[in-house]
Amino acid sequence: MKSVKEKRPAGQKQYYRRKKVCKFCVERIDSINYKDVKLLSQFVPERAKIMPRRISGVCSQHQRQLNDAIKKARNIALLPFATE
Amino acid sequence: MRNYEIMFIVNPNASEEEIDKINGQIEGIVTAGGGKVEKLEKMGKRRLAYEVDKNREGHYVLFVISANGDIVRECERRLRVIDAVIKYITVRTDEEVRRFEKIRNYRQKRAARRGSGAGASSASAQSAEEAMQ
Repeated sequence: MKSVKEKRPAGQKQYYRRKKVCKFCVERIDSINYKDVKLLSQFVPERAKIMPRRISGVCSQHQRQLNDAIKKARNIALLPFATE
Repeated sequence: MRNYEIMFIVNPNASEEEIDKINGQIEGIVTAGGGKVEKLEKMGKRRLAYEVDKNREGHYVLFVISANGDIVRECERRLRVIDAVIKYITVRTDEEVRRFEKIRNYRQKRAARRGSGAGASSASAQSAEEAMQ
């Protein structure tokens, strides 16, 4: 759910931006499990940092759960702390 | 009794028997302490996301147990002692599960209410139609 920003000449305020929605709310995923690497890896880009909410559009409750899950997964070497 | 998940990684060079031996030990601790092993899953050999003790791979094993804190402490102590185990994690799950059930119940209740509301409106529509006739 990335926003689409288009370059416009100055003065033109309006630009198209897709409304971001929380993936977990939409798909009714209420258990964010640390073992679900496939799901979690969608929220850790190449540098293995956790994707901020302003980019991914995840709601605050789910972002918190996602954070915990990613951190647990890192502990057991399912996800990297950082890429070398 | 609480529910926990214990996940640990065994050295990739360990044989199948060695893994089974470790599993047997953990199971022994849990049952001896009055707990119960709900599930034992060998997740097989997987690539690690980062290097652990010069290993790039490892055998993942997952235990789902219902036990108390003492048992978990003993399991963790044992896992620390065994050389073949390179990493372990214990996660308490019962609180989360309870929360999901609450959410699910709430959702079902809401769906039911909405469903009955729709039924009522259609019924009223039907009676209106009958009145027309």
